[in-house]
Amino acid sequence: MDNILARKFQKDLNGGLVALVLLAVLAGSNEDLYGYEIAKRLQKANQGEALFKEGTVYPVLRALSAAGLLTSRIALSYSGPPRRYYRITEDGHRMLAAYRDIWRQTRNFVDRFIEAGTTP
Amino acid sequence: MTTAAPRSIDAYLKQLREALAGQDPALIQDAEYDAEEYLRAEIASHPDKSEADVLEIIASTYGDPEEVAAAYRDTEAKVNAALKPPVRPPARPPGVLRRFFSIYSDPRAYSSVFFMLLALATGIVYFTIAVTGLALSAGLAVLVIGLPFFLAFIGMARVISLGEGRLLEAMTGERMPRRPVHPGPPQNLWARIIAMLKDGRTWTTLVYFILMLPLGIAYFLIAVTGLSLGLALTAAPVVGALHYFGLTSVIYVEPEWLATKYMAVIMFILGVVILTTFMYLARGIGRGHARIAKRLLVTQG
Repeated sequence: MDNILARKFQKDLNGGLVALVLLAVLAGSNEDLYGYEIAKRLQKANQGEALFKEGTVYPVLRALSAAGLLTSRIALSYSGPPRRYYRITEDGHRMLAAYRDIWRQTRNFVDRFIEAGTTP
Repeated sequence: MTTAAPRSIDAYLKQLREALAGQDPALIQDAEYDAEEYLRAEIASHPDKSEADVLEIIASTYGDPEEVAAAYRDTEAKVNAALKPPVRPPARPPGVLRRFFSIYSDPRAYSSVFFMLLALATGIVYFTIAVTGLALSAGLAVLVIGLPFFLAFIGMARVISLGEGRLLEAMTGERMPRRPVHPGPPQNLWARIIAMLKDGRTWTTLVYFILMLPLGIAYFLIAVTGLSLGLALTAAPVVGALHYFGLTSVIYVEPEWLATKYMAVIMFILGVVILTTFMYLARGIGRGHARIAKRLLVTQG
């Protein structure tokens, strides 16, 4: 029961955070990345339990692309179907800056209460 | 879930399809495509492990088919909600006239008119490609290059069909695939050819290409007739006024009773009615055509 609620909490949190992390990964990359590569970078960054399933990355990439925050191109690959490479757009950079501010505010706000709660 | 964990890419994709049953076929095609890209890349990066071994850990990395399906459903719902402007109920029900002219504020009506005009050109191109491709395939079938030619022809038809889908989604808003159809498990050439021949979509795509010529001609005729008739009648008072102030030279109007002020007003009203009705017709044709295209170009789940 606890486990299910914890997982649901994690999933609710991830809703917007995946978009923020994906924008940040693409903003920090010098080259275009494709879905699998991005998923692996996220996995590597978090050696322990993965915070989200890599399968959830793809639909968010498509949504960001549809919203004009990313552009994409298709290139052939040897290992499977042609890959779709993503790159962040100017709008994406602007949105990333806005997301980042919101995230920092939220984190500080939440931390204030959590720290107060744990230290007697 | 009670279904067994998939042990192969095919089994995974099958479960994913089942989990997405009832969703938009275009969404299913996209989800399958993404999953296949990931799974094949994952297998390629673990050359020491078998497909079954790699698939074993997929549920903990990529997610099991149920989870992935849920992610696509949620994202699709969110994107649709975000892209759709919020519907605000009008404070007062708009009057009949206002409702009648509301078509002019619908971008889909304009893009449908554009599509109808373009349809003649695309119709001719598609028809030519389909007929040439089929005829040459049949003719070359006895030669060595017959098979590769046929495969290249079908491949090209699929790419065009994806492009046509993108065009139609942009013009009419009907959800169409954003990724090509995934080629299925790797097989030898013969198995691929047979699968291609057995795939109903291959043939319905060609039917669509051939159908596009008569449809394109009809759409083009309707668009040109509606636009020119509507615009010309609407402009009648302007022309009359120009003539009245001596700004144009001679205008011949036959019969003479048409060349009166009252007739100019009547022609104007008639023109506006025709033009507006045509805009409704165009939007309807755009929607109807997108539905036909989806039937023929996208595999129905």
